[in-house]
Amino acid sequence: MSENKKTKYDMHSPEAKALIDEIVHGTFTKEGTMAAFPTCFPGASIPIPADESHITALDVSGDGMIYGGTSGRATHLFVGIFSGVTGAVFDRGMVEGANHCAAVCCGKSRFVACVNGPDGGRVVAGSLEGLPFDLIQEWGFGRSPFQELGKVNGEPIVHAVADASGKVLVGTTSGHLFTLGMDAGDIKVVGEVPGNGRLALGSKGGIFGQDGSAHLWRYDVATGKLQRKAVALPEGAWDNVPLTWAKDHRSGLLYTADADGNVFSLDEELGFSGPLARTLLAPVGPMAVTHDGRVFGFCGPEMAKMFCYNPRTREATNLGVAVSVLEQRRYGYVFGDAVTGRDGQIIFGEDDDLGHLWLYFPRIQALP
Amino acid sequence: MKLKRREFLVSSAGAAAAWLALPAVAGAASVDAKPVKGPGKDSYRTSFYPFTGHPDADTCWSVSVGPDGRIYAAACAESVPGGVVKVVRYNEHTDGLDYLFSLDEMVNDPGDSGRATQCKIHYSFAPSMSDGILYMATHLSGPPIDQPAYSPWLSWHDPKRCFRGSALLAFDTKQDQVLWWDTLLPKEGCRCLLHDEERHLLYALSYPRDHFFIYDTKKRTRRDVGRIGSINAQTLFLDRKHRVWTTDDYGHLVRYDPEKDRLERSPFVLPHNPEFQTGWHSVFYDVAAAPDGESVYAATWIAASRLMRIWPNEGEWPRVEDLGPATQKRDPTLPKDTFVDHCGGLVFAGDGQLYYVASRWRDAVYNPMPADGPEREGVVWRLNPATLQRQEVAVLHHPSQPAQYISRGAVDHNGNLFFGNVGTKPVGIFKVHLPASRRKKNAHLPIRMWG
Repeated sequence: MSENKKTKYDMHSPEAKALIDEIVHGTFTKEGTMAAFPTCFPGASIPIPADESHITALDVSGDGMIYGGTSGRATHLFVGIFSGVTGAVFDRGMVEGANHCAAVCCGKSRFVACVNGPDGGRVVAGSLEGLPFDLIQEWGFGRSPFQELGKVNGEPIVHAVADASGKVLVGTTSGHLFTLGMDAGDIKVVGEVPGNGRLALGSKGGIFGQDGSAHLWRYDVATGKLQRKAVALPEGAWDNVPLTWAKDHRSGLLYTADADGNVFSLDEELGFSGPLARTLLAPVGPMAVTHDGRVFGFCGPEMAKMFCYNPRTREATNLGVAVSVLEQRRYGYVFGDAVTGRDGQIIFGEDDDLGHLWLYFPRIQALP
Repeated sequence: MKLKRREFLVSSAGAAAAWLALPAVAGAASVDAKPVKGPGKDSYRTSFYPFTGHPDADTCWSVSVGPDGRIYAAACAESVPGGVVKVVRYNEHTDGLDYLFSLDEMVNDPGDSGRATQCKIHYSFAPSMSDGILYMATHLSGPPIDQPAYSPWLSWHDPKRCFRGSALLAFDTKQDQVLWWDTLLPKEGCRCLLHDEERHLLYALSYPRDHFFIYDTKKRTRRDVGRIGSINAQTLFLDRKHRVWTTDDYGHLVRYDPEKDRLERSPFVLPHNPEFQTGWHSVFYDVAAAPDGESVYAATWIAASRLMRIWPNEGEWPRVEDLGPATQKRDPTLPKDTFVDHCGGLVFAGDGQLYYVASRWRDAVYNPMPADGPEREGVVWRLNPATLQRQEVAVLHHPSQPAQYISRGAVDHNGNLFFGNVGTKPVGIFKVHLPASRRKKNAHLPIRMWG
């Protein structure tokens, strides 16, 4: 018997049933709807092998298709098509010699993936997928080889984003900032930066990345100017935090969080907000902003819990562990990236064995 | 009647070791000296041994034969706040059960800790023949003492509530002592366990995350190989090439090949009911190896359980034979209660025949059993591997309730069969006395290496 003896719960107590229901059912996706979609065309193809399907990078093309990349024993690049008479994830192929996908960025005419392997980081490109005819009636998919755009500098790539025009990719390796012309494929090393965390595109076109424990650097694509320590980070725990971002595509506002789960916003003109809210767990992982400004993301290691930050109420609520009972019955524990879909749904990439694309449809809010 | 099941989670690893004496074991008296005998024929007579020595016990998820040829069972207490599992052994001299130890005491994780408890052993006895050790690993689901229920998902990040982790114990069946223990799976429960004795490796499936773990019993180290899915298979089995087999959520065989150090999935779906099943949830419930080691017989964990024979040593992916449904026909528009429609307890006896227990229940259309008889019952079947013909040989008689849900079966060194009972209290184990002609000494050999 332990020293602090506790009273045995009375299973006949009047509140027992309600409490049991809360413990059992109040744990999972408490609002909105999740649908876990496998990395295949269900009924027509098989998913990416389980240990090659950790989804670590996502982006959305102009026509609303979801492009992504995986990590694990091997890297695959894929496209998810969910609008109209579609409903498929098509494995565009395995990238030889790669086992980690750091970023996928969609341009006007093709997508670009930053991948890593035993030989360091490199960039490959693929053509954008055409909209299939009708995935209920008949279909045909073809696989074309990726174009090798080359290594950056031998260092592993940490992250990359496309600029506002979609013509230039800006990325970081473990020690440098680089750019790549999305069409031309020319890679240029701009300068030294610490290769920590993810990058974000600000409301005025600046690209931001973490610059030590107290600042962000800013890169201006138009002028090619890199400004170190351009923005001071607000007071918070910024050491050893894998910086992650979400962007409100309507306002341009960026969201990020410190190591304690304190959420902040960044307006490129106005700077950082103070702490807006705190998530239940830390660190904060991938997150994205739906059309009404709410931020949805995951927090916590191993078995992440979903949160919603509502800028109107300035509250971060716990939405529980992800579960899908549509398309696939599956629990979701670890997520690698998030993007906002055409209609404001959030697409999460599951960074786990047999990773799925998780389509989250937020609860429609009642009128005030 | 619904069986409320929860399962589950924490921290710590930390091997605690060292020769833990079992004061309760030495000269332990049989608590249940008078088994409840069933009516029925002399051959295949059944006896029931309730867990009266552990009044909290509400399920029996594990029944296995030890390396000593004796029968071990888990008296689990998972619906009781603060409930803990006690390990029992059938005593053939007293024809009763010996209560060996309360597992929480062996691993310093008491039932009143406020955490989810060491409440059960779930298909996780695994023998070691060379040294007489019986490995056992705990599972979760039992609520903390001051809570009515437990969710490992809810409490994963709660250090006060989260399950400490599946405790792995090495029990010396010669000395009746726990030699050492370790945390096998931090925060998680062990759904099923297998021992590859030649390589000193234990294999386990974790709950709730459904990860495949390897534990080295020499080095006392664990390794997480990766996630399989969301629905634990309830069994692992081993082939001649030291490959470990199980299933995924969609009824595909999954195998871990030590040579490749990789989990691989078969492209084929295992047999299932073609009318209303898709293969989803057709995970293994129980698997018994044929004595020659060339094939295994399996039942799936879904209502309308399917029987099959698998030849793991043949081909790139095994030949699989569909042996048909294990239970009766029923209304396909009703998702049948998996507690009622169930098959388990697969075991080969000394006569080389496969025995298993399948449920049978009254159904006005499909099985109009007499109104004055039991509503449900557990039927012991004998399957001839040569002809694949099946014959009903006994019905398990519980003194107060139907006994249609059998978790596991085992054969002891005298050749009699034992089955674990899950139901309402009192739960316990059944003994099926095989006819003398079907018994033989050391019928438990070659021994089953998984729970």
